[in-house]
Order: sequence, then C-alpha cells, then structure tokens
Amino acid sequence: MTERSWSALGRKIKPDWRPEHERAVRATIGRRRARRRALLSVTIGVSSALALIAMFAVAHFALRVPLPAPASTNSDLKTAASTPAPKAVETAAPKAVETLTVTQLSPDTVLHPLPEWKGRGYELLAGGARFLVPHDAEHPFIVVASDVVIEDLGTMFTVQYLGADRLRIAVEQGRVGVRTRDTDTNTEVTAGATMDVPTSAPNKKPAAAAAVSSSWRPLAEHGHYLEAHQALRKAGPGAVREDAADLLMAADTARLSGHPAEAVPYLDRIVRSHGDDPRAPLAAFTLGRVLLDELGRPGDAIGAFARARARGGPLAEDALAREVEAASRAGSPARSHELALLYRQLYPNGRRAKAVSKFGGLD
Amino acid sequence: MSPHLRLASPPRELPADGPLEFGELFARYNRYVATLAARLLGSGDAEVEDVVQDVFWLASLRLPRIVDMVQARGWLATVTTRLVRRRLRRRRFRNLFHSTASRDEVPAPGATAEERAVLSRLYEVLDGLPTNERLAWSLRYLEGEPLDAVAAACGCSLATAKRRVSAARSVIDEVFRDD
Repeated sequence: MTERSWSALGRKIKPDWRPEHERAVRATIGRRRARRRALLSVTIGVSSALALIAMFAVAHFALRVPLPAPASTNSDLKTAASTPAPKAVETAAPKAVETLTVTQLSPDTVLHPLPEWKGRGYELLAGGARFLVPHDAEHPFIVVASDVVIEDLGTMFTVQYLGADRLRIAVEQGRVGVRTRDTDTNTEVTAGATMDVPTSAPNKKPAAAAAVSSSWRPLAEHGHYLEAHQALRKAGPGAVREDAADLLMAADTARLSGHPAEAVPYLDRIVRSHGDDPRAPLAAFTLGRVLLDELGRPGDAIGAFARARARGGPLAEDALAREVEAASRAGSPARSHELALLYRQLYPNGRRAKAVSKFGGLD
Repeated sequence: MSPHLRLASPPRELPADGPLEFGELFARYNRYVATLAARLLGSGDAEVEDVVQDVFWLASLRLPRIVDMVQARGWLATVTTRLVRRRLRRRRFRNLFHSTASRDEVPAPGATAEERAVLSRLYEVLDGLPTNERLAWSLRYLEGEPLDAVAAACGCSLATAKRRVSAARSVIDEVFRDD
C-alpha cells in the first residue's frame, strides 16, 4: 500500500465523539479544578497558620529582649545607639499586600466577579466583604456596590451594606478612592478611616435579586458552570425564564456543575411545555441520559427516550438504542427485546447494533 | 437541530489572537485531540475520552504558557502523543499477563468492510512494533503530519523521527506487500 492510501485510510479513523463526550470531559475537568482549588486553599491555609504561629513565636521571644528606654537625654541616646533595637520594633510598619484575597463577611453576602475586569473587579450585591489588594497601577481593582464605585490604590479594606440604603467602607491599610455614579464625586479614604456612603437604591434587596437572576446567564454562557450554579441557586427558581433557551441553559448549568438531579425539572419543563420547540427532542434525550446514566432511574428514562424518538430526526436512532438499554436496566426484558427488534428492523446497519443486541437479548 | 451543537447556545467565534481561554481552546480542539488519540491508539470510546480529559486537564494548568491558537495545536499534539505513548506501554505490559490480547474494533465509521479488515490487521502489526516507531509512523502516515511535526510531537530529533518512521514502514510494507 502507498503512502497516499494509508493517509486516506487514516482519515477514515474517527472516534464516535459526541457532544455528550465533550460535556462529560468538561464536567470532569471542572470537578478536578474544584478539587485542586480546594486542596490549594487547604495548603495555603495550613501554611498561613504555620507562618502565623512561627511569627508569634519569634515575636514572643523578641519582646522578651528589653526595649531601649526613650531617648530623652544624651546618656539615654548613647545607650540606645550602643544597643541594637529589637526586631519586633522594626517590623511595625505595614507590609505590602502581595496576593489578592477576598473574604465574604457573612453568609448572605452576594459577590460576583466582573468578567471584563479579569479578576480585578467585583460587584457587591448584598452583605459585606473584605479585600486585600496588591496595587497595580496599570490594572486598577474596583468594587461596585449599588451606585458606588470603590477603586483601590494598593490596600486592605472592607465594604459592607449597613442597611437598604447605606454602605460602609473601612480602610485598614493603604487608601481607596470612592466615587458615586450619580454625582461622580471622588473621595479618598485613607488607612484607619471609615466612610459611610448613602446609596441611591431605595429598596436594595429586589434590585440585588434582579441583578443575581440576570448574572447566572453570562457565567453559564462563558462556561463557568460552578459559579453560574451558585448564582442560580441564590436567585431561586424564578430566575429562569419560561422559554426553551433559558431552560436549556439552566439545565446545562445544573448538569455541568455536577448537580444532575437539579437539571431534571428544567428538561422536563421543556419536554412538557415546549414540545413544539425544535430543541425539545434534544431536551428529552438529555433528560433520558441524565436519568439513566447519572441518577440511576432507568424506569423514568424509558419515557424520556421514547419522547426523544417520537418526532424522528437525527437523535431517533440513538434514543431507541438507549431506550432498549433503559428497559433492560429497569428489569423489563420483554420490553427491551421488543424494542431491540424494532431497532434492528429500522436500522439494520445501525451504529448501536452491538449494544442493542446485548441489552435486547438478541445475541 | 444537529446533535453536534451545544445544548444551550452555539460555540462563539474564536479570536484570531489575544490571550487564550480554556473554553475556546477546548471548543476548537477537543475533536482534533479525540481523533488524533483514536488514530494513535486504534481504539475509541472510553480510552479516547480518558486521553482527551488528561490532555485538556494539563492544558488548563499550562494555559498561560500557550501563546496562541496556532501554537496550541502543536502543543496539544505533543501532549496527546506523550499520553498515548504511556497508555500503549501500559497496555503492552498488561498484555504480558494475558494469554490472548484482546483488541477493540478500530473506530472507522465511513470505512468499507475491506478497509476495516485492513485497519484491523494494521493495528495488529502496530501492536507488535516498538511504541516509539509505531507513534512516529502513525503520525506520519495516518495523521499525515510532516516529519518535523512528527519529531516535535514525539519529542525527538528529525533524524530520529526519520529513522523510527523508516523502521516501522519497512515492517508494514513487508506485511502489506501484496495489498
């Protein structure tokens, strides 16, 4: 055989690579990332704790060295000059913040990253948060809370809602610029100072809820399913519009963030309430796959696959094959055998013939 | 609606340059990596899925080092080849303990029965070749990569890549001389 004929033959080798495979791989990588992040957090936490303990130990021993007396007289000055100052005194100046750390101050805190700020911008919708921000003149860090914008100038600060229409900004280290969107006045808050700012939103909670309900979509569209799922869960079921596209996206968000059971009602709504939508068979097929593969409910999956194939189309063959499998797993050998015969009749050279024969008892 | 589209919304157009995002890299190259893995392994389904998962997991960790989409393809090919090599060696080791080595069907949906038979025989022959020679030959002839790309993917010099391809080709030519 020639080089050319091997290449032609090579091009015919193609795996049965479907969107389900893509989604499964992405979901697994998402889970591995989450595990890695958790492990990193634990490692950083333990390291920080050890570093703190070490610092306390050093400080404890350092403070036991007698401090020099105040330099009020010449003789005292001489003594101070001849005695080296203890290290604990030298470290009193604030250290520069090196890594960005964001801490939510209460369970009801709703904080979302602003995607266009690439990790250096957050929107605070409710509650409060503490920010430790390394200063970067080229990439300013901002926090948006209602109509107030807080821009860091290299610092450690807290932003917290005090009520429906009041915001508190407390600066521990460095300084921040505070700007209200309406008046566009810019005020600088320095270390140790606190500033209370009125927010113009008279009723904060509904506004925040609306912002959350709209915020899960861009996260899902960008493939950030874990974050989208958190936002969706906080926003509640009302955040999903009653149209097929929104329901599919919500189902994706639930499934791909590792919560397949929560995808079931969304997919079921598409199948039942939007049966005429061209995406309904795909929703039914996905519903069947979730029920069969991820939730271990083959009995329920049979109906979903039956609906997926009822309207024909490119999924019909796969749906029938998976229906055979579901019936077999649900303990209905007669039904699976009957469906397997139907598959063989409709698709004599079907791609799934091997699996259908196995589950339908045709071997 | 085609079953090959995303469930909720279609993949976005990719930028010509600029910083890479994992989602874009995955959307563009997951099928390429799956196909390359299938051709190198001669099998489909679970084994290919595992390779794709490992390749993109590594890609997600090394993303800042990948400059652009063009470079990404070569990088992914190299990583895929390395992971497949490890798998093939493990497979060979496992087969030492089995009296009859079982082999999956080669995934070639568009192939005729004759072509399937040739592919099946080809992978039997490839299974008997040293792993490095097998990979070099597969990249050169099944994947159609030029020799410098084969060398880059195999992590060896151009001369070594040529030698490996040539060694494998002489065996395969001998087996398929009459075809």
